[in-house]
Amino acid sequence: MARSGEWADELGEMDARRQAAREQGSAELLDKLRQRDRLTARERIAALLDEGSFREFGMLAGKGDYGAQGDFEGSTRSAHIIGLGRVDGRKIVAAAGDSSVRGGSSEVAVADKWIYAERYAWEFKLPIVRLVATAGGSVKLIEKMGHTKIPGYPSMPPAQMSGQVPIVGIAMGACAGLGAVRVCGSHFAIMVRGSSQVFAGGPPVVKRALGTTLSKDELGGADVHAASGVINNAVDSEREALQLARRFLSYLPQNVWQQPPRSACEDDPTRADAWLNDAIPHDRRKVFNVHKIVAALADAGSVLELSPRYGGSVVTVFARLNGAAVGMIANNPRVMGGAMTADAAAKMERFVDLCDTFHLPIVHLQDQPGLMVGEQAERAGTLSAATRLLLAIEQSTVPWIAIVLRRCFGLAGSMISPLHDGIGSALPHRFAWPSARWGSIPIEGGVAAAYKREIEAAADPEARREELERYYHKLESPFRTAERFGVVDVIEPASTRALLCDWVDDACAKTARNLGPKYRTMR
Amino acid sequence: MSELKAEVTGTVWKILCSPGQTVKQGDTIMITESMKMEIPVEAVSDGVLETLHVQEGDSVREGDTVATLA
Repeated sequence: MARSGEWADELGEMDARRQAAREQGSAELLDKLRQRDRLTARERIAALLDEGSFREFGMLAGKGDYGAQGDFEGSTRSAHIIGLGRVDGRKIVAAAGDSSVRGGSSEVAVADKWIYAERYAWEFKLPIVRLVATAGGSVKLIEKMGHTKIPGYPSMPPAQMSGQVPIVGIAMGACAGLGAVRVCGSHFAIMVRGSSQVFAGGPPVVKRALGTTLSKDELGGADVHAASGVINNAVDSEREALQLARRFLSYLPQNVWQQPPRSACEDDPTRADAWLNDAIPHDRRKVFNVHKIVAALADAGSVLELSPRYGGSVVTVFARLNGAAVGMIANNPRVMGGAMTADAAAKMERFVDLCDTFHLPIVHLQDQPGLMVGEQAERAGTLSAATRLLLAIEQSTVPWIAIVLRRCFGLAGSMISPLHDGIGSALPHRFAWPSARWGSIPIEGGVAAAYKREIEAAADPEARREELERYYHKLESPFRTAERFGVVDVIEPASTRALLCDWVDDACAKTARNLGPKYRTMR
Repeated sequence: MSELKAEVTGTVWKILCSPGQTVKQGDTIMITESMKMEIPVEAVSDGVLETLHVQEGDSVREGDTVATLA
């Protein structure tokens, strides 16, 4: 629309410059994206945010081209698009790299823009979603600057940001170096299979340094890093990634001075699924489907699993109980028998920190046979990873409730819930299903070790061993522990949801009294 | 045609179906053993068990193809 009035020329130039920015980068690069069934940076922002909610900042930033008379003729836009928008009505900061502008090269990045987005989130304590699709540093920058510099961004917000506002990072293309850190240095990192990669150095750098030839996906594709733990979740499309980011944020507060939002719950908080009473097989060698149990205890459809491909013997999910957001941790006997591996410990440590930071009460559904043993496990540093986890649990200050579904053994078993917590007041709020067993050592191996001579000397060693095991199994009945109040109660599995939904009100009231940043000591 | 994979590193403890047998989604084809636990390998779809790639007692690694359904 043509402008009129005294400032028509200036307003007209503003319109023209804004329109040019809306058109993004080169038509060729935009076509290339579309041909590969991918979104442009602006389409990604639109898919991330509530419709029409984007308020852009820095639209005019870039490198202007001027004629001989100093008139504006066009510009190369910044390879970053930033601004504010809403997710389910709540304000967030969004920052998207735009690979249609000179391939997202840092030469045209105007780095101040994305740093401004980070600083806005820091200043006003808003969640930030980083859609990273910009190339790393370019050697051509050195020529442009005429000198090199010590790496680092002095105007980056302090590292404490991750202790104050939710951060989501999505790799939308190849992310090397700083770009990779912006993805994995978030609370929730997502990659898209086939179209995004994350690495410390890309294939040409690896070829030069190590002499190995690898494709981008072989080196740092979504499946590589979903299993390495560098990112949390891998998905099949960009739209899926953006929806997942929205979903992740729905469980979290805007910042640590707030509580997670509670949503309306249509699921009966006292719903008792009768099949749960038989969910655990009597035969201890048989496994069960812990995902199904988690889904049955949470509000219908409320479970979001984080890092499903990493450290799989521990399952970590966000879920809701009568509308209240909680973190749930469960052991999966189908992966390494449920044993605590180094990866599982690192995953659970990070999850405990995440829940603690954003005030999500923790539900622990335990079936823990113990720390993973064996040469591989020792070499993987399982003990130090587990020790860090133990300290993370003890340093947390959110309320915990633990239900022992089956096994609770050894050092890993002791990580059922904090006994002291970060402020020295943890209540051991622990329950057990009738299938629960616990101890410092499992009966089978324990009997074989302690009664070695007696078993060997018996007329029928096998029969004597079984007899001793039967005797000890009776002693480890959870009812005997309940007599001594070693657990609060042994409960009917089908009644678990009602117990959790009743507890979560008290848990949320406690977190409401303990808002703000958390301070943790060394691990 | 779908491939059934071992979920965990361990040994093949028991094979419950034979080639040519019709199976339904969720049927247990074989049981692997790992960390003193029985981990079933289940049919991912209805079909006919075409090939078994392992025998009882074999060691398997996570992700190994252990059977093929047609």
